[in-house]
Amino acid sequence: MESIFRYRNPDTAGASGGPLQGVNIAIQPNVSVEGWPTDAGSKALVNFTALEDATIIRRLREAGTAVCGSTRMSEFGFGLDGSRAGEALKENAADVEMVLDLMGESRLAASRASVCGFKPSYGLVSSLGLIGLIPSMECWGLLSADIDRIRRVLDTISGPDPLDFSLPDEPAPDFSARGIKPENTSIGVISEAVSGLSSDSKNAFQASVDELKQAGFSVRELSLPDMALFSLVHNIVGSVEASSCAGRYDSVRYGRRAPGARNWNEMYLLSRGAAFGTLVKSYLFQGAYFQFERYAAYEDACRIRARLVADMRKLFDKADFLIFPAAVGGRFGQAASLAATYEQFAATLFANVTGQPALYLPPAPGSKAAGFQLAGPRRSDARVLALGEYLLNLRQEGNV
Amino acid sequence: MEFEAVIGLEIHVELNCATKLFCDCPNRPGDEPNLNTCPTCLWYPGAVPRLSRDALEKASLLCLGLGAELQPVSAFDQKVYYYPDLPKGFQLSQAHCPLSRGGGIDIMDETGKPKRLRIHHIHMEEDVARLVHEMEGRLPISLVDFNRAGAPLVEIVTEPDFRSPHDAMEFLKALRTQVRYVGSSECSMENGTMRVDANISIRPRGTDQMNTKVEVKNMNSIRHVGDAIAFEIGRQSAAVKAGEAVVLHTRLWDPDKKATFMMRAKFEGPCVPDPKVPVIELTAEYIEAMRSRLPEMPAARAERFIAQHGLTGEEAVFLSSDPEVAVYFEALIAEGVAPRTAMHWLTTQLIPAIRERGQKPGDTPVTPARFAGLLKMMSKDEINANAAREVMAHLFESDESPEAIVAARGFAQVSDSAELDSLIDKVLEDQPDAVAKVRAGQNKALGFLMGQVMQASGGKANPKIVRELLAKKLGTN
Ligand SMILES: [Zn+2]
Repeated sequence: MESIFRYRNPDTAGASGGPLQGVNIAIQPNVSVEGWPTDAGSKALVNFTALEDATIIRRLREAGTAVCGSTRMSEFGFGLDGSRAGEALKENAADVEMVLDLMGESRLAASRASVCGFKPSYGLVSSLGLIGLIPSMECWGLLSADIDRIRRVLDTISGPDPLDFSLPDEPAPDFSARGIKPENTSIGVISEAVSGLSSDSKNAFQASVDELKQAGFSVRELSLPDMALFSLVHNIVGSVEASSCAGRYDSVRYGRRAPGARNWNEMYLLSRGAAFGTLVKSYLFQGAYFQFERYAAYEDACRIRARLVADMRKLFDKADFLIFPAAVGGRFGQAASLAATYEQFAATLFANVTGQPALYLPPAPGSKAAGFQLAGPRRSDARVLALGEYLLNLRQEGNV
Repeated sequence: MEFEAVIGLEIHVELNCATKLFCDCPNRPGDEPNLNTCPTCLWYPGAVPRLSRDALEKASLLCLGLGAELQPVSAFDQKVYYYPDLPKGFQLSQAHCPLSRGGGIDIMDETGKPKRLRIHHIHMEEDVARLVHEMEGRLPISLVDFNRAGAPLVEIVTEPDFRSPHDAMEFLKALRTQVRYVGSSECSMENGTMRVDANISIRPRGTDQMNTKVEVKNMNSIRHVGDAIAFEIGRQSAAVKAGEAVVLHTRLWDPDKKATFMMRAKFEGPCVPDPKVPVIELTAEYIEAMRSRLPEMPAARAERFIAQHGLTGEEAVFLSSDPEVAVYFEALIAEGVAPRTAMHWLTTQLIPAIRERGQKPGDTPVTPARFAGLLKMMSKDEINANAAREVMAHLFESDESPEAIVAARGFAQVSDSAELDSLIDKVLEDQPDAVAKVRAGQNKALGFLMGQVMQASGGKANPKIVRELLAKKLGTN
């Protein structure tokens, strides 16, 4: 079988004595590392080698991690088709995996590997060196069986970067774990997020909610009537951004130029046509359609996005955290079409639209509960991780 | 039917910043190809743009210098189009929220009446790469030079207030002066630091309809802009008279054929905001700080020169059109030179001499202090005008003071009557014919005798005293 690695680093030594000494981390080939093949899973970038290290790579090495290689990924990380994310953990080839999360990929890959998967707040981590597709939705997610490792890696890579002006002007977050007291912690369930589940899934999700109640948390039922619009907004805004930004993946300066063109224009068209896979190509076509033929719809989607962000923020007046199911429908390996891909990520993409942190927690072994997501308001990353860790500890102590 | 033209301009000005717009690479497009590049300005995957503070400030000053209103919020968008000089497929430009709105320039129209030509908005954008077309054997190839990629530009978009080539040329001259004043760009069309596109349509005179416009590009001097507009007005008028429709398209000006030619249309669509380039928020304090850095602008300065130094309107406009000349002029006055002397010697002697040597008033070794020293010696009759011109030439070649040059090279004016007396007597003796003519009332001959005396003195005689002595000796007064 084909290796799960796209590239294996022959020299994994990080700085000695750093706080992450001995932590083995696998990345994807969408993280710029000088001299590594960084094709982001696309033929459009075949033979592209980054000229400089991403800020996170510099920080990880300084902290002493061993960056052991990059795992195979879907084209530009969009969806999980062709992705081997999570497998390096399963095979003990890495302690932590970094997986780009555009619509929930890091969290669904975690669910596939039965480990924890965390998508941090948007704007927490420098994006210098990120070879992405949907700039306003995507950020690097972290997968590990151990939440403390996720926390320590995030602590290392997050915070202001003088080389990335796109980061909001905010101080580095404080990751020292905070104590979770169930008796004064409330968790909300958005009824619209559950209503679409099959009865099996609904039962499994209910078992997870019961687990929280049993642990002493107060669980509140909340409503977000426009929940169904997250997918639409992500689809329109995401595809327009992708179509516009992906211009630089021209397959001319890197990638392969298509032969047989009569002029430069034809050469560009043929090369790009040959470079992109069906899923990305249909996404770019859709984005171009909205940009050039339905621009008003794109502007509407941006406005609705702002409203959804505000609606979501208001829910945190009523609850400290939110719990979401992890998958609504669709199965892995079958998502060739855009519609099927969006269906697969229907439960996770809310956090990409709002930029809030979301943690996937796998079910306890042998439990009839399903894996689920915990989410908090933007920049509550430390608290979301603390809650996840608290729940895992409870399981370990056999209290749940 | 008589037609009138409706013209608007789009002017790209390359800011004279040390670095590019979104990275720290040197902003020197003329260097060895692809020398000044990095992942950001090569537009590589993974690179992020970092807006230059210097570029923002120079652009802000330019806007304020043109009377425009800086916007509290502006933002960069991705202007999508494909061309090999833009291999990332989009240009960062402020399409939706420009840096400034409004502003304008006052000119005199053909009849001498004042006219305001309004600016719609001014936005920042990055320049594209430069294509070099060559032959590799018999195969034509195109090479891409990224030195210019990401260079800081502003685009000034005017209202369609222009009616003639005259309007456009006057606007561009005034624009160039004002932008040089604030120090944001050289604005040279010849060097490509100012590029002008003109949108031209025609309509029956007296109506206010807006007809299909044609865009004309590729003019490389202000004169050519006028020529191209004049040609295009004629071409469109003839077409409409012949019953042909004017269609929206772009034409290139050919300066050799003095005509415009159709160019293939470039695809352009709506722009999407770039999520990775932060929105620019200008605080009231920033805008105030920029405003306080604004120098006195040429129109205000010319008015002050008239009131304060008694210059004519024409003289004041000339001296204030180049900030370095204006500063030099006032430095001379501060050194104690009379305004009229300063104006006269600057415009007729020093500025041509400086230009001849490829220098600028701000960096010439003939500093205002040295030049003022020279002019003051002249007004004190220590040297005459002839000698002053020669001393000026020496000022360019050595760093000696004018006093030292005069002393060392014997330029000092001879005002000693006894010395001049004997000189004059000798000339009168040698030129009996001229003396006879003067006595017969032919004043031309007096000038000849003056010249002979000056020559005999090696140009150093004080002409005023020579004239007096001659008159006395010949009894002509
Ligand atoms: Zn650069």
